[in-house]
Amino acid sequence: MNRPPPDTDPALVARIEARDADALALLYDRHSARLMGLAQRILGVSGEAEEVLQEVFLFVWRSAHTFDAARGSVLAWLLVATRSRAIDRLRARRPASRGELKRLDDVPETASPLDVESDSVSREWEAVCRAAIGELPAEQRRVLELAYFEGLTHVEIADRTSTPLGTVKTRVRLGLMKLRERIRPYREGGSRE
Amino acid sequence: MSDRERLQELAALQALGLLPAGSDDLDAFLAEAGEQGEALARELALAASALSVEARPVAPRPEVKARLLASLDPTRLPERRAGSRAGAWLALAAAALLLVLVGLDDWKLRATRDDLSGRTAELSRKLSDAEGRARAAEVEKARQELYRRVLESDDVRVLSLGGKDPQPAARARVFWSEKAKRGVVVAGNLQMLPPDKQYELWVFDKGKPVSAGVFDCDPSGRVVFESKDMPMVTLAQNFAISIEPKGGMPQPTGPIVLIGS
Repeated sequence: MNRPPPDTDPALVARIEARDADALALLYDRHSARLMGLAQRILGVSGEAEEVLQEVFLFVWRSAHTFDAARGSVLAWLLVATRSRAIDRLRARRPASRGELKRLDDVPETASPLDVESDSVSREWEAVCRAAIGELPAEQRRVLELAYFEGLTHVEIADRTSTPLGTVKTRVRLGLMKLRERIRPYREGGSRE
Repeated sequence: MSDRERLQELAALQALGLLPAGSDDLDAFLAEAGEQGEALARELALAASALSVEARPVAPRPEVKARLLASLDPTRLPERRAGSRAGAWLALAAAALLLVLVGLDDWKLRATRDDLSGRTAELSRKLSDAEGRARAAEVEKARQELYRRVLESDDVRVLSLGGKDPQPAARARVFWSEKAKRGVVVAGNLQMLPPDKQYELWVFDKGKPVSAGVFDCDPSGRVVFESKDMPMVTLAQNFAISIEPKGGMPQPTGPIVLIGS
Protein backbone atom coordinates (compact mmCIF):
# COMPACT_ATOMS: atom_id res chain seq x y z
CA MET A 1 0.00 0.00 0.00
CA ASN A 2 1.22 3.50 -0.63
CA ARG A 3 0.72 6.56 1.52
CA PRO A 4 -0.46 9.40 -0.65
CA PRO A 5 -0.86 12.78 0.97
CA PRO A 6 -4.22 14.53 0.75
CA ASP A 7 -5.21 15.59 -2.74
CA THR A 8 -3.02 13.08 -4.48
CA ASP A 9 -4.31 12.13 -7.90
CA PRO A 10 -5.93 8.87 -6.72
CA ALA A 11 -7.65 10.70 -3.87
CA LEU A 12 -8.99 13.26 -6.35
CA VAL A 13 -10.31 10.51 -8.60
CA ALA A 14 -12.08 8.92 -5.66
CA ARG A 15 -13.64 12.28 -4.78
CA ILE A 16 -14.70 12.71 -8.39
CA GLU A 17 -16.36 9.34 -8.18
CA ALA A 18 -18.36 10.77 -5.29
CA ARG A 19 -19.39 13.63 -7.62
CA ASP A 20 -17.04 16.26 -6.24
CA ALA A 21 -16.67 18.83 -9.00
CA ASP A 22 -13.99 20.70 -7.03
CA ALA A 23 -11.80 17.61 -7.24
CA LEU A 24 -12.32 17.49 -11.01
CA ALA A 25 -11.37 21.16 -11.26
CA LEU A 26 -8.22 20.47 -9.24
CA LEU A 27 -7.25 17.50 -11.39
CA TYR A 28 -7.89 19.63 -14.46
CA ASP A 29 -5.68 22.43 -13.16
CA ARG A 30 -2.94 19.94 -12.42
CA HIS A 31 -2.85 18.09 -15.73
CA SER A 32 -4.72 20.01 -18.41
CA ALA A 33 -1.65 21.76 -19.84
CA ARG A 34 0.22 18.49 -20.25
CA LEU A 35 -2.79 16.79 -21.83
CA MET A 36 -3.59 19.78 -24.02
CA GLY A 37 0.03 19.79 -25.20
CA LEU A 38 -0.22 16.11 -26.11
CA ALA A 39 -3.55 16.55 -27.92
CA GLN A 40 -2.21 19.56 -29.79
CA ARG A 41 0.98 17.77 -30.76
CA ILE A 42 -1.15 15.00 -32.29
CA LEU A 43 -3.95 17.08 -33.82
CA GLY A 44 -2.21 20.37 -34.44
CA VAL A 45 -3.33 23.74 -33.21
CA SER A 46 -7.07 23.55 -33.59
CA GLY A 47 -10.27 23.50 -31.62
CA GLU A 48 -10.13 19.73 -31.80
CA ALA A 49 -7.41 19.55 -29.15
CA GLU A 50 -9.64 21.48 -26.77
CA GLU A 51 -12.54 19.19 -27.59
CA VAL A 52 -10.37 16.18 -26.79
CA LEU A 53 -9.34 17.75 -23.50
CA GLN A 54 -12.96 18.35 -22.57
CA GLU A 55 -13.91 14.81 -23.62
CA VAL A 56 -11.16 13.36 -21.46
CA PHE A 57 -12.28 15.18 -18.33
CA LEU A 58 -15.93 14.37 -19.01
CA PHE A 59 -14.84 10.76 -19.31
CA VAL A 60 -13.10 11.11 -15.94
CA TRP A 61 -16.25 12.62 -14.44
CA ARG A 62 -18.48 9.87 -15.76
CA SER A 63 -16.11 6.93 -15.47
CA ALA A 64 -13.91 7.65 -12.46
CA HIS A 65 -14.96 4.27 -11.11
CA THR A 66 -13.09 2.59 -13.96
CA PHE A 67 -9.76 3.92 -12.74
CA ASP A 68 -7.79 1.13 -11.14
CA ALA A 69 -4.79 2.25 -9.12
CA ALA A 70 -3.37 -1.25 -9.31
CA ARG A 71 -3.03 -0.88 -13.07
CA GLY A 72 -1.22 2.41 -13.11
CA SER A 73 -1.07 6.06 -12.25
CA VAL A 74 -3.79 8.63 -12.81
CA LEU A 75 -1.58 10.61 -15.16
CA ALA A 76 -0.84 7.51 -17.24
CA TRP A 77 -4.60 6.90 -17.37
CA LEU A 78 -5.21 10.47 -18.53
CA LEU A 79 -2.39 10.33 -21.08
CA VAL A 80 -3.74 7.09 -22.56
CA ALA A 81 -7.27 8.54 -22.67
CA THR A 82 -6.02 11.73 -24.33
CA ARG A 83 -3.80 10.02 -26.87
CA SER A 84 -6.51 7.48 -27.64
CA ARG A 85 -9.09 10.15 -28.43
CA ALA A 86 -6.67 12.35 -30.33
CA ILE A 87 -5.35 9.46 -32.44
CA ASP A 88 -8.91 8.29 -33.15
CA ARG A 89 -9.71 11.75 -34.53
CA LEU A 90 -6.49 11.82 -36.49
CA ARG A 91 -7.17 8.40 -37.98
CA ALA A 92 -10.72 9.44 -38.85
CA ARG A 93 -9.27 12.19 -41.04
CA ARG A 94 -7.37 9.63 -43.12
CA PRO A 95 -8.68 7.36 -45.87
CA ALA A 96 -10.15 4.14 -44.48
CA SER A 97 -7.47 1.93 -45.99
CA ARG A 98 -6.01 0.58 -42.81
CA GLY A 99 -6.90 -2.52 -40.89
CA GLU A 100 -8.73 -2.14 -37.64
CA LEU A 101 -6.34 -1.59 -34.77
CA LYS A 102 -6.87 -2.55 -31.20
CA ARG A 103 -8.43 0.28 -29.25
CA LEU A 104 -5.78 2.41 -27.69
CA ASP A 105 -7.65 2.18 -24.41
CA ASP A 106 -6.45 -1.42 -24.32
CA VAL A 107 -2.89 -0.30 -23.97
CA PRO A 108 -1.81 -1.20 -20.46
CA GLU A 109 -1.66 1.69 -18.09
CA THR A 110 1.54 2.25 -16.30
CA ALA A 111 2.75 2.70 -12.81
CA SER A 112 4.60 5.96 -12.96
CA PRO A 113 5.95 8.18 -10.24
CA LEU A 114 3.62 10.95 -11.21
CA ASP A 115 0.69 10.47 -8.90
CA VAL A 116 2.23 12.62 -6.26
CA GLU A 117 2.40 15.46 -8.64
CA SER A 118 4.73 17.91 -7.02
CA ASP A 119 6.47 20.16 -9.49
CA SER A 120 9.88 18.84 -8.55
CA VAL A 121 8.90 15.21 -9.10
CA SER A 122 7.23 16.12 -12.36
CA ARG A 123 10.25 18.04 -13.61
CA GLU A 124 12.63 15.30 -12.56
CA TRP A 125 10.53 12.72 -14.35
CA GLU A 126 10.37 14.80 -17.50
CA ALA A 127 14.12 15.34 -17.44
CA VAL A 128 14.75 11.59 -17.17
CA CYS A 129 12.38 10.91 -20.08
CA ARG A 130 13.86 13.65 -22.26
CA ALA A 131 17.37 12.41 -21.61
CA ALA A 132 16.33 8.85 -22.42
CA ILE A 133 14.63 9.91 -25.65
CA GLY A 134 17.61 12.08 -26.57
CA GLU A 135 19.92 9.09 -26.34
CA LEU A 136 17.93 6.99 -28.78
CA PRO A 137 19.40 6.49 -32.25
CA ALA A 138 17.63 8.86 -34.62
CA GLU A 139 15.94 6.11 -36.63
CA GLN A 140 14.48 4.48 -33.51
CA ARG A 141 13.27 7.80 -32.16
CA ARG A 142 11.67 8.56 -35.52
CA VAL A 143 9.58 5.39 -35.65
CA LEU A 144 8.46 5.83 -32.05
CA GLU A 145 7.38 9.41 -32.71
CA LEU A 146 5.53 8.45 -35.88
CA ALA A 147 3.63 5.79 -33.96
CA TYR A 148 3.00 7.77 -30.78
CA PHE A 149 2.18 11.21 -32.16
CA GLU A 150 0.93 10.44 -35.65
CA GLY A 151 -0.78 7.16 -34.90
CA LEU A 152 0.82 5.48 -37.89
CA THR A 153 0.78 1.69 -38.02
CA HIS A 154 4.04 -0.14 -38.49
CA VAL A 155 3.04 -0.76 -42.11
CA GLU A 156 2.48 2.96 -42.65
CA ILE A 157 5.74 3.80 -40.94
CA ALA A 158 7.53 1.36 -43.24
CA ASP A 159 5.88 3.07 -46.19
CA ARG A 160 6.57 6.60 -44.95
CA THR A 161 10.22 5.93 -44.17
CA SER A 162 10.86 3.51 -47.05
CA THR A 163 12.06 0.93 -44.58
CA PRO A 164 11.36 -2.82 -44.53
CA LEU A 165 8.52 -3.76 -42.19
CA GLY A 166 10.71 -6.06 -40.13
CA THR A 167 13.19 -3.27 -39.57
CA VAL A 168 10.41 -0.97 -38.37
CA LYS A 169 9.24 -3.55 -35.85
CA THR A 170 12.80 -4.08 -34.66
CA ARG A 171 13.29 -0.34 -34.23
CA VAL A 172 10.07 -0.05 -32.26
CA ARG A 173 11.16 -2.90 -30.03
CA LEU A 174 14.72 -1.72 -29.51
CA GLY A 175 13.66 1.90 -28.99
CA LEU A 176 11.08 1.11 -26.34
CA MET A 177 13.37 -1.39 -24.64
CA LYS A 178 16.06 1.28 -24.40
CA LEU A 179 13.61 3.81 -22.98
CA ARG A 180 12.50 1.19 -20.50
CA GLU A 181 16.07 0.52 -19.41
CA ARG A 182 16.74 4.21 -18.90
CA ILE A 183 13.54 4.82 -16.97
CA ARG A 184 13.72 1.70 -14.84
CA PRO A 185 16.46 2.92 -12.42
CA TYR A 186 14.38 6.01 -11.79
CA ARG A 187 11.34 3.90 -10.95
CA GLU A 188 13.40 1.58 -8.81
CA GLY A 189 14.67 4.54 -6.83
CA GLY A 190 11.90 3.64 -4.41
CA SER A 191 10.88 6.86 -2.79
CA ARG A 192 9.65 8.47 -5.93
CA GLU A 193 6.88 6.03 -6.65
CA MET B 1 13.73 -14.29 -33.60
CA SER B 2 13.63 -15.82 -30.15
CA ASP B 3 10.45 -16.10 -28.10
CA ARG B 4 11.82 -13.44 -25.78
CA GLU B 5 12.33 -11.01 -28.66
CA ARG B 6 8.92 -11.88 -30.07
CA LEU B 7 7.33 -11.09 -26.70
CA GLN B 8 9.22 -7.81 -26.54
CA GLU B 9 8.10 -6.92 -30.05
CA LEU B 10 4.43 -7.67 -29.38
CA ALA B 11 4.49 -5.81 -26.08
CA ALA B 12 6.18 -2.83 -27.76
CA LEU B 13 3.62 -2.77 -30.58
CA GLN B 14 0.79 -2.98 -28.09
CA ALA B 15 2.26 -0.22 -25.97
CA LEU B 16 1.97 2.04 -29.00
CA GLY B 17 -1.49 0.79 -29.98
CA LEU B 18 -0.20 -0.89 -33.12
CA LEU B 19 -1.48 -4.42 -32.66
CA PRO B 20 -4.27 -5.38 -35.05
CA ALA B 21 -7.69 -5.89 -33.47
CA GLY B 22 -8.35 -9.50 -32.61
CA SER B 23 -4.66 -10.23 -32.25
CA ASP B 24 -4.32 -12.68 -29.42
CA ASP B 25 -0.62 -13.29 -29.89
CA LEU B 26 0.36 -11.00 -27.06
CA ASP B 27 -2.18 -12.43 -24.65
CA ALA B 28 -0.88 -15.93 -25.38
CA PHE B 29 2.72 -14.85 -24.88
CA LEU B 30 1.87 -12.95 -21.71
CA ALA B 31 0.04 -15.94 -20.30
CA GLU B 32 3.08 -18.07 -20.99
CA ALA B 33 5.52 -15.54 -19.61
CA GLY B 34 3.51 -15.06 -16.42
CA GLU B 35 4.30 -12.12 -14.12
CA GLN B 36 7.50 -11.35 -15.96
CA GLY B 37 5.57 -10.87 -19.18
CA GLU B 38 2.99 -8.64 -17.56
CA ALA B 39 5.75 -6.56 -15.98
CA LEU B 40 7.37 -6.19 -19.38
CA ALA B 41 4.11 -5.03 -20.96
CA ARG B 42 3.60 -2.46 -18.16
CA GLU B 43 7.15 -1.19 -18.38
CA LEU B 44 7.03 -0.82 -22.15
CA ALA B 45 3.75 1.06 -21.83
CA LEU B 46 5.49 3.35 -19.35
CA ALA B 47 8.33 3.77 -21.82
CA ALA B 48 5.78 4.71 -24.50
CA SER B 49 4.08 7.23 -22.22
CA ALA B 50 7.50 8.80 -21.64
CA LEU B 51 7.26 10.01 -25.23
CA SER B 52 4.51 12.38 -24.11
CA VAL B 53 7.12 14.66 -22.54
CA GLU B 54 8.13 15.61 -26.07
CA ALA B 55 4.83 17.46 -26.34
CA ARG B 56 5.23 20.92 -24.90
CA PRO B 57 2.58 21.69 -22.28
CA VAL B 58 0.02 24.17 -23.55
CA ALA B 59 -2.31 25.98 -21.19
CA PRO B 60 -5.84 25.62 -22.55
CA ARG B 61 -8.00 28.71 -22.82
CA PRO B 62 -9.94 29.46 -19.62
CA GLU B 63 -13.21 28.95 -21.52
CA VAL B 64 -12.42 25.25 -21.86
CA LYS B 65 -12.47 24.72 -18.12
CA ALA B 66 -15.55 26.89 -17.70
CA ARG B 67 -17.32 24.93 -20.43
CA LEU B 68 -16.28 21.64 -18.88
CA LEU B 69 -17.50 22.52 -15.41
CA ALA B 70 -20.75 23.92 -16.79
CA SER B 71 -21.41 20.69 -18.65
CA LEU B 72 -21.08 18.36 -15.68
CA ASP B 73 -24.11 16.36 -14.73
CA PRO B 74 -26.09 18.20 -12.12
CA THR B 75 -25.41 15.52 -9.56
CA ARG B 76 -23.16 17.53 -7.34
CA LEU B 77 -24.17 17.31 -3.84
CA PRO B 78 -27.12 19.17 -3.18
CA GLU B 79 -26.94 22.13 -1.08
CA ARG B 80 -30.05 22.64 0.94
CA ARG B 81 -32.81 23.47 -1.48
CA ALA B 82 -34.46 26.71 -0.54
CA GLY B 83 -37.32 25.93 -2.86
CA SER B 84 -38.07 22.67 -1.12
CA ARG B 85 -38.07 24.28 2.31
CA ALA B 86 -40.32 27.09 1.10
CA GLY B 87 -42.57 24.46 -0.40
CA ALA B 88 -42.73 22.66 2.93
CA TRP B 89 -43.71 25.85 4.81
CA LEU B 90 -46.24 26.64 2.16
CA ALA B 91 -47.70 23.21 2.55
CA LEU B 92 -47.92 23.57 6.33
CA ALA B 93 -49.54 26.99 6.10
CA ALA B 94 -52.04 25.75 3.57
CA ALA B 95 -52.89 22.79 5.73
CA ALA B 96 -53.43 25.10 8.75
CA LEU B 97 -55.64 27.35 6.70
CA LEU B 98 -57.69 24.37 5.74
CA LEU B 99 -58.27 23.53 9.40
CA VAL B 100 -59.48 27.08 10.11
CA LEU B 101 -61.82 26.92 7.21
CA VAL B 102 -63.22 23.67 8.49
CA GLY B 103 -64.08 25.26 11.85
CA LEU B 104 -65.63 28.46 10.48
CA ASP B 105 -67.67 27.28 7.63
CA ASP B 106 -68.49 23.65 7.78
CA TRP B 107 -71.28 23.76 5.24
CA LYS B 108 -69.07 25.43 2.63
CA LEU B 109 -66.39 22.89 3.30
CA ARG B 110 -68.86 20.06 2.73
CA ALA B 111 -69.77 21.63 -0.58
CA THR B 112 -66.19 21.60 -1.71
CA ARG B 113 -65.05 18.62 0.33
CA ASP B 114 -64.00 16.48 -2.54
CA ASP B 115 -61.97 19.21 -4.12
CA LEU B 116 -60.26 20.17 -0.88
CA SER B 117 -59.45 16.64 0.13
CA GLY B 118 -57.74 16.24 -3.22
CA ARG B 119 -55.71 19.37 -2.61
CA THR B 120 -54.82 18.27 0.91
CA ALA B 121 -53.55 14.96 -0.37
CA GLU B 122 -51.45 16.78 -2.93
CA LEU B 123 -50.04 19.16 -0.33
CA SER B 124 -49.26 16.28 2.03
CA ARG B 125 -47.46 14.46 -0.73
CA LYS B 126 -45.41 17.59 -1.50
CA LEU B 127 -44.58 18.00 2.17
CA SER B 128 -43.51 14.40 2.44
CA ASP B 129 -41.39 14.70 -0.70
CA ALA B 130 -39.74 17.86 0.61
CA GLU B 131 -38.95 16.21 3.92
CA GLY B 132 -37.59 13.14 2.14
CA ARG B 133 -35.32 15.25 -0.03
CA ALA B 134 -34.09 17.21 2.96
CA ARG B 135 -33.35 13.99 4.84
CA ALA B 136 -31.54 12.48 1.85
CA ALA B 137 -29.47 15.65 1.45
CA GLU B 138 -28.51 15.61 5.14
CA VAL B 139 -27.49 11.98 4.98
CA GLU B 140 -25.52 12.54 1.81
CA LYS B 141 -23.82 15.60 3.25
CA ALA B 142 -22.77 13.74 6.39
CA ARG B 143 -21.53 10.88 4.28
CA GLN B 144 -19.47 13.20 2.10
CA GLU B 145 -17.96 14.97 5.09
CA LEU B 146 -16.80 11.75 6.70
CA TYR B 147 -15.62 10.43 3.37
CA ARG B 148 -13.45 13.48 2.84
CA ARG B 149 -12.21 13.43 6.42
CA VAL B 150 -10.82 9.91 5.95
CA LEU B 151 -9.54 10.63 2.47
CA GLU B 152 -7.73 13.72 3.56
CA SER B 153 -6.22 12.42 6.76
CA ASP B 154 -2.45 12.61 6.59
CA ASP B 155 -1.93 8.87 6.99
CA VAL B 156 -4.50 7.63 4.50
CA ARG B 157 -3.45 4.52 2.59
CA VAL B 158 -5.04 3.28 -0.61
CA LEU B 159 -5.54 -0.34 -1.58
CA SER B 160 -7.24 -1.63 -4.70
CA LEU B 161 -9.41 -4.70 -4.39
CA GLY B 162 -9.87 -6.99 -7.37
CA GLY B 163 -13.02 -8.95 -8.12
CA LYS B 164 -13.17 -12.71 -7.75
CA ASP B 165 -15.74 -15.31 -8.69
CA PRO B 166 -18.69 -14.96 -8.56
CA GLN B 167 -18.12 -11.26 -9.32
CA PRO B 168 -14.84 -10.99 -11.25
CA ALA B 169 -15.80 -7.60 -12.71
CA ALA B 170 -16.23 -6.00 -9.29
CA ARG B 171 -13.72 -3.31 -8.37
CA ALA B 172 -13.08 -1.38 -5.17
CA ARG B 173 -10.60 0.88 -3.49
CA VAL B 174 -10.20 1.17 0.25
CA PHE B 175 -8.97 4.38 1.83
CA TRP B 176 -7.80 3.51 5.31
CA SER B 177 -6.59 5.80 8.05
CA GLU B 178 -4.55 3.97 10.67
CA LYS B 179 -4.89 6.91 13.03
CA ALA B 180 -8.65 7.14 12.67
CA LYS B 181 -8.94 3.34 12.62
CA ARG B 182 -11.54 3.50 9.96
CA GLY B 183 -11.80 3.60 6.21
CA VAL B 184 -13.90 4.33 3.17
CA VAL B 185 -14.67 1.85 0.42
CA VAL B 186 -15.50 3.04 -3.08
CA ALA B 187 -16.76 0.10 -5.10
CA GLY B 188 -18.29 -0.46 -8.51
CA ASN B 189 -19.59 -3.25 -10.73
CA LEU B 190 -21.13 -5.01 -7.75
CA GLN B 191 -24.22 -7.13 -8.20
CA MET B 192 -27.42 -6.34 -6.36
CA LEU B 193 -27.94 -8.94 -3.66
CA PRO B 194 -31.18 -10.62 -2.58
CA PRO B 195 -32.87 -8.93 0.41
CA ASP B 196 -31.51 -11.48 2.89
CA LYS B 197 -27.87 -10.84 1.91
CA GLN B 198 -25.43 -7.97 2.36
CA TYR B 199 -21.85 -7.22 1.52
CA GLU B 200 -19.48 -7.29 4.50
CA LEU B 201 -16.11 -5.54 4.65
CA TRP B 202 -13.26 -7.35 6.38
CA VAL B 203 -10.04 -5.86 7.68
CA PHE B 204 -7.19 -8.34 8.05
CA ASP B 205 -5.31 -7.70 11.27
CA LYS B 206 -2.46 -10.11 12.04
CA GLY B 207 -3.83 -12.33 9.33
CA LYS B 208 -7.30 -12.56 10.88
CA PRO B 209 -10.43 -11.00 9.37
CA VAL B 210 -12.27 -8.46 11.50
CA SER B 211 -15.68 -7.23 10.40
CA ALA B 212 -15.76 -3.56 9.42
CA GLY B 213 -19.48 -3.37 8.68
CA VAL B 214 -22.10 -4.38 6.16
CA PHE B 215 -23.46 -2.47 3.20
CA ASP B 216 -25.58 -2.68 0.07
CA CYS B 217 -24.82 -1.31 -3.36
CA ASP B 218 -27.13 0.90 -5.39
CA PRO B 219 -28.92 -0.44 -8.49
CA SER B 220 -25.98 0.62 -10.66
CA GLY B 221 -23.67 -1.57 -8.60
CA ARG B 222 -21.86 1.29 -6.92
CA VAL B 223 -21.37 2.17 -3.29
CA VAL B 224 -19.40 4.50 -1.09
CA PHE B 225 -19.25 2.93 2.33
CA GLU B 226 -17.58 4.04 5.54
CA SER B 227 -16.38 1.39 7.91
CA LYS B 228 -17.28 1.54 11.56
CA ASP B 229 -14.63 2.64 14.07
CA MET B 230 -12.19 -0.20 14.60
CA PRO B 231 -9.95 0.67 17.56
CA MET B 232 -9.16 -3.02 18.05
CA VAL B 233 -7.25 -3.22 14.75
CA THR B 234 -3.51 -2.87 15.35
CA LEU B 235 -2.45 -2.83 11.69
CA ALA B 236 -4.75 -3.22 8.71
CA GLN B 237 -2.79 -5.48 6.38
CA ASN B 238 -5.42 -6.28 3.80
CA PHE B 239 -9.10 -5.95 3.05
CA ALA B 240 -11.77 -8.16 1.56
CA ILE B 241 -15.49 -8.01 0.86
CA SER B 242 -17.70 -11.08 1.12
CA ILE B 243 -21.40 -11.82 0.74
CA GLU B 244 -22.99 -12.61 4.08
CA PRO B 245 -26.45 -13.01 5.59
CA LYS B 246 -28.17 -9.66 6.17
CA GLY B 247 -26.69 -7.92 9.21
CA GLY B 248 -23.30 -9.59 8.80
CA MET B 249 -21.39 -12.37 10.49
CA PRO B 250 -18.54 -12.30 13.02
CA GLN B 251 -16.37 -14.29 10.60
CA PRO B 252 -16.63 -14.67 6.81
CA THR B 253 -18.95 -17.46 5.79
CA GLY B 254 -19.93 -16.53 2.22
CA PRO B 255 -17.97 -16.10 -0.97
CA ILE B 256 -15.28 -13.41 -1.02
CA VAL B 257 -16.02 -11.25 -4.04
CA LEU B 258 -13.26 -8.65 -3.66
CA ILE B 259 -9.83 -8.88 -2.07
CA GLY B 260 -6.69 -6.78 -1.99
CA SER B 261 -3.69 -8.04 -3.85
